[in-house]
Amino acid sequence: MNKHSVLSSVLSDVNTANGLPNEHYIDPVVFAEEKRSVLFANWSGIGFGKDVPEVGDARPIDFLGMPLLVVRDRDGEIGVFQNTCRHRGMILVDEPKKISGAIRCPYHSWCYDLKGKLRATPHVGGPGQNKHDDVDPNDLGLIRVRSYVWRDVIFVNIDGQAPEFEQAHGHLMARWAEFEQPIFHGGALSSFKLEVKTNWKLAVENFCESYHLPWVHPGLNSYSRLEDHYNIEERDLYSGQGTIVYRQLTDDVGSKMPDFQGLGEKWDQGAEYIAVYPNVLLGVQRDHSFAIVLEPVDQEHTVEHIELYYAAGEQETPEFDELRSLNAQLWKTVFEEDIFVVEGMQKGRHGTLFDGGRFSPVMDGPTHNFHHWVASQVEKGRST
Amino acid sequence: MEIDLLDRALLEAHARRDTTELIRLYSLAAEECEAKQDIGAACFFLTQAFVFALESGAEEAFELNQKLADRGRVHRFTSSM
Repeated sequence: MNKHSVLSSVLSDVNTANGLPNEHYIDPVVFAEEKRSVLFANWSGIGFGKDVPEVGDARPIDFLGMPLLVVRDRDGEIGVFQNTCRHRGMILVDEPKKISGAIRCPYHSWCYDLKGKLRATPHVGGPGQNKHDDVDPNDLGLIRVRSYVWRDVIFVNIDGQAPEFEQAHGHLMARWAEFEQPIFHGGALSSFKLEVKTNWKLAVENFCESYHLPWVHPGLNSYSRLEDHYNIEERDLYSGQGTIVYRQLTDDVGSKMPDFQGLGEKWDQGAEYIAVYPNVLLGVQRDHSFAIVLEPVDQEHTVEHIELYYAAGEQETPEFDELRSLNAQLWKTVFEEDIFVVEGMQKGRHGTLFDGGRFSPVMDGPTHNFHHWVASQVEKGRST
Repeated sequence: MEIDLLDRALLEAHARRDTTELIRLYSLAAEECEAKQDIGAACFFLTQAFVFALESGAEEAFELNQKLADRGRVHRFTSSM
């Protein structure tokens, strides 16, 4: 198999394009290439702010083998560091914990503060001598990874070369500016993860198109028909789908969950579901939103981390517990209905005669947009 | 405290990961060495106490840092963390 097959057919117009070739789904060499050119070279999601809610909360995250440490510092800001001591390369934190004072390496006890500054190098100059002229703490802080938190998703740019987040994703941030307001995680029931035997890209592709809805999610047909959806495509930026018939959940007495403040008419019955390239899937509705971080484990395995958010906190609004629970169950059902599809497509990619597939020129624009973007990133990586 | 007792107490505190006790016992060990004019050993124990205080955010961290800095053994903190 040619691991560097020409991607020009992916980069052509949707009417004539082919999808990404099989090796982009099943070949560990191409997976490693995409890790570098797609996932490390752009703003990838690695987790959620709600998992480090308090000052001193530290959470190690393995992102494609890269050991990261997410920390909420004393200013309340989230920082992401390489989870590796600057001394002998020891992993600093191996499980979520509260850092009361400093991050102490368990090997020789070099200590770092919550902003990564090196604060102690015990015995570095000999027993009881904790400094040395050739060991400058100002040069040996934890290596900070570029990060940005948006809609509670922690994004990182590992290679440090991507444009600023607000530049890279400014178009989408403007599109959803009305939702730029506090969001509150829905609690334990609003958090779930799915371990799926699929390449991470197939989860993106399935998410951002509505073509499959009447077949895979027949429960939607009664109120959210295919024609009630529209494609969202911004070349080189993002893609997804929208609906014009979003229907709020109601309980037995007709109560509904509170809306986000000040939304325009579009959102009375509108909702949008957008893939923030490369690996974050977001949805916004008038009364709740969700965020999915796709954790690429290897070329054939992905973990979907799914979190639901609301306009009001669960502790302040216990009267909506039942609705939040029902809403979480509904979404879980939808996401679980998609598993056989993404796993089936993954199996299909082992068909050696498959050519990447042809797109529906009308229905598959968002998917092709994503393929186009991935191919562009891969080509860019190959040219540098 | 006798050395054997102190050693045993330190081992037990390490086993329990009892940071408060580790700070206290290492500080005590440092004091006993200082009393014997063994500044090198005192600074070793002060360092141990300092690191555990720093890790746990104990208020002693600043004072221990200053003691070590007075002996030229550490970069001086200008404020606590």
